[in-house]
Amino acid sequence: MVSPVLELAEITKTFGMTAALSSMSIRLWPGEVHAIVGENGAGKSTMIKIMTGLYPPTSGTIKIDGKPVTLTGPQAARDLGVTAIYQEPMVFPDLDVSENIFISSTREGWIQNRADLRRKAQTLIEGIGITLDVDRIASGLTLAEQQAVEIARALSQDVRVLIMDEPTASLSAHEAEQLRKIAVTLARQGVSVVYISHRLEEIFEIADRVTVVRDGRHISTRPIDEVTSEGMIAEMVGREIDSYFARVPSHAQPETVLEVSNLARKDVFEGVSFNLQKGEILCMAGLVGARRTDIALALFGIAPPTSGHITYKGKKVSFQSPRQAIDAGIAYLSEDRRKFGLAMPMDITANITLATLAEFLSPTGLLDHEKERATAEVFREKLNIRTSDIGLPVEMLSGGNQQKVMLAKWLNLKPDLLIFDEPTRGIDIGAKAEVHALIRAFAAAGGAAIVVSSDLPEVLAMGDRILVMREGRQMGIVDGNDATQENIMSMATGQSDMKEAS
Amino acid sequence: MGALLSRLNPQSLRILGLLAVLVLVVLFFSTQIPHYLNGRLFNRISSSVAIMALIATGQTLVILTRNIDLSIGSIVGFVAFATGGLISSHPDLGPVLLVTYSVLLGAAFGAVNGVLVAYGRIPSIIVTLGTMALFRSALVEYSDAKSITTSNLPHWLVNFPNTVLFQIGQYQFRAAFVAAIVVVLLVHFMLNRFRPARKLYAIGSNPEAAEMAGINTSATVFVAFVLAGALAGLAGFMFLARFGTITVVAGLGLELKSVAAAVVGGVNIFGGSGSVIGALIGAVLIDLIDTSLVRWDMVSEFWREAVLGGLILLSVAADTTLMRRLVNLRISREKAKFSKARNVQSQEVAE
Repeated sequence: MVSPVLELAEITKTFGMTAALSSMSIRLWPGEVHAIVGENGAGKSTMIKIMTGLYPPTSGTIKIDGKPVTLTGPQAARDLGVTAIYQEPMVFPDLDVSENIFISSTREGWIQNRADLRRKAQTLIEGIGITLDVDRIASGLTLAEQQAVEIARALSQDVRVLIMDEPTASLSAHEAEQLRKIAVTLARQGVSVVYISHRLEEIFEIADRVTVVRDGRHISTRPIDEVTSEGMIAEMVGREIDSYFARVPSHAQPETVLEVSNLARKDVFEGVSFNLQKGEILCMAGLVGARRTDIALALFGIAPPTSGHITYKGKKVSFQSPRQAIDAGIAYLSEDRRKFGLAMPMDITANITLATLAEFLSPTGLLDHEKERATAEVFREKLNIRTSDIGLPVEMLSGGNQQKVMLAKWLNLKPDLLIFDEPTRGIDIGAKAEVHALIRAFAAAGGAAIVVSSDLPEVLAMGDRILVMREGRQMGIVDGNDATQENIMSMATGQSDMKEAS
Repeated sequence: MGALLSRLNPQSLRILGLLAVLVLVVLFFSTQIPHYLNGRLFNRISSSVAIMALIATGQTLVILTRNIDLSIGSIVGFVAFATGGLISSHPDLGPVLLVTYSVLLGAAFGAVNGVLVAYGRIPSIIVTLGTMALFRSALVEYSDAKSITTSNLPHWLVNFPNTVLFQIGQYQFRAAFVAAIVVVLLVHFMLNRFRPARKLYAIGSNPEAAEMAGINTSATVFVAFVLAGALAGLAGFMFLARFGTITVVAGLGLELKSVAAAVVGGVNIFGGSGSVIGALIGAVLIDLIDTSLVRWDMVSEFWREAVLGGLILLSVAADTTLMRRLVNLRISREKAKFSKARNVQSQEVAE
């Protein structure tokens, strides 16, 4: 009898009092693309960490080729052919691309032959279907390029199980398609590919079987033909959800909060002009590299513009630092939660009060912990932050809940203008709907919101108006009611431009 | 000039920059101090750099992995004393055995640090702060308040550092200096061409990713500390040969000088980038400034340390600023190249 290449049998993993996985069983066969879906916090990440040896299971067995094994760490898993690619790529910023690819390879000799290494790296990179100078230092690579480097690294060795954890979350449509092709190709070559994604359309495109997990438990495993997206979503959330992406009427009020005219930052973006009303949500759409984040950073004073004007609440402003922007009532939720958003090892309470510490001083000038905790509790309730204890470090939370903590931090500032950068990236559908509701509530209460998003359905659902960017240029502003996937995409890819030209 | 800038890699540029600073410093002092530029200066600096180069190299290996070794000075002191004691009681021991003994003893001390940092998971600054004191106390205990003196040592050992291997004009290339340079070049070659050495950079560059990529981070960090200990052991041997008289305070303060040399030499204190050639030039620069300040009337003895400290801060600040400028310059250059290529392409398409 053929045995599965990797099998988890009755795996349980507990952290303190909470069970992240309870008697989880899954079998991975060679040559299949096995999709795993579930809300954030459902236990997918824990499962991967057990498969790759990062966490030892509390109970249960891991079998490879039918034989029970103990994985002592990532090296042990890798030696057995199990390797993973994560949503946030793991590269070495100081090394160049070829060195990054072969860093953990055991096949190379002791002495490094640069030319040979370059050539092999080039072959691997080309095999993935992208162009990249293998001599480049990794610190300058885009997220998509870093991802490619990671895949090439995994391919540099015999890989039997390749786990892809949200690999396309930060990629453009074209790059994501490339990646899905790679996944399918590898599976045809006999690799067992585990594919985790929140983009359900991707799963229907490439998966052979789908496993749904919820609350650390195995719910179902079915061939893709027997699955419908409604059924899958219902299993994931444990309830029927409809119309998350339904539009709601605009709350825009006549008062203009922000007016931007001909804003530019040298060599980054140019010609950006728009205005934003009180209560309005303006979405910024575009592909990766469209420079939407840079506009946000310019408005927030992190990377100030080099020309153009910003009029905020009727006054000309030029913020040179985030402090000035914050003092004026502008907040920015970064797309990179890890780097710019949250102090990961600090507890939830401390993160929520971090931007507004002055409010939590007692008359003696010391921090009033009671007051901090009370505020954090209010936000936990209001934003539905799922945690047993607000004293836990933020890094223990799932992505969606981390996003809510970040939102709480900035809401506490009572801003007039909130800039959301990819607010639902890497967040499951249930949490997405919650974040959308929170953004809408903020606008309905009279706040002005800018939402930078690569998720088209989200842009179409949220945007009262949609500003489309392409490679640092503003392509136009579309009213939310007139917007369709097609017209936004053709502006973002520059196709509409070409039509006009011809 | 611009083309050259974009072709060289950042490390080579950094080294060229350091060499430029070195030349500037020499030129400056030669205008200030009479009879400054002569063979004596070279010989003096090269003698003391022999020891500094070795420990700066060892320190670099450790710093690359995002760690630090503060016990290096104590290891140098202990090894110098123990080696002196051994040769005093067994005067017929040959040079090969004696050097091996020093290196192994140093490596053993390094292994203690390595086990605690890599396997005990205790931050290196705490471990080596502790072992710095422990190794020093071990020396006090071991020495029994006695000293090694030159008279106890065989002639070949005392003469070794000053043996002139070859001479170019007034510049004497002495054995200790040449040996140290050979070791530094060897380590440099290994760091560049040895595959496992890349792991030192990888760990310092992104420890989490290193773990995920399946690198055995504990073993690698352990090896870095052992190598640093071995190099400190070799430096201990050089120390004994150069000074002859060894007391319980031998090597005191070398740990901070080694860190200073590495940092001035462009080794990133947060790990991941740097070269031992840089550390070597850093060591030369610090020694040169130190020696020259002694002879410069403008600065009183009491201000010497302050001037040196200021120069260290200045060099690191200059390095950071220059590197940032350079990176920006290069990025804009590449961008220009890219958009030019694209324009050409789109023109072709249009045609």
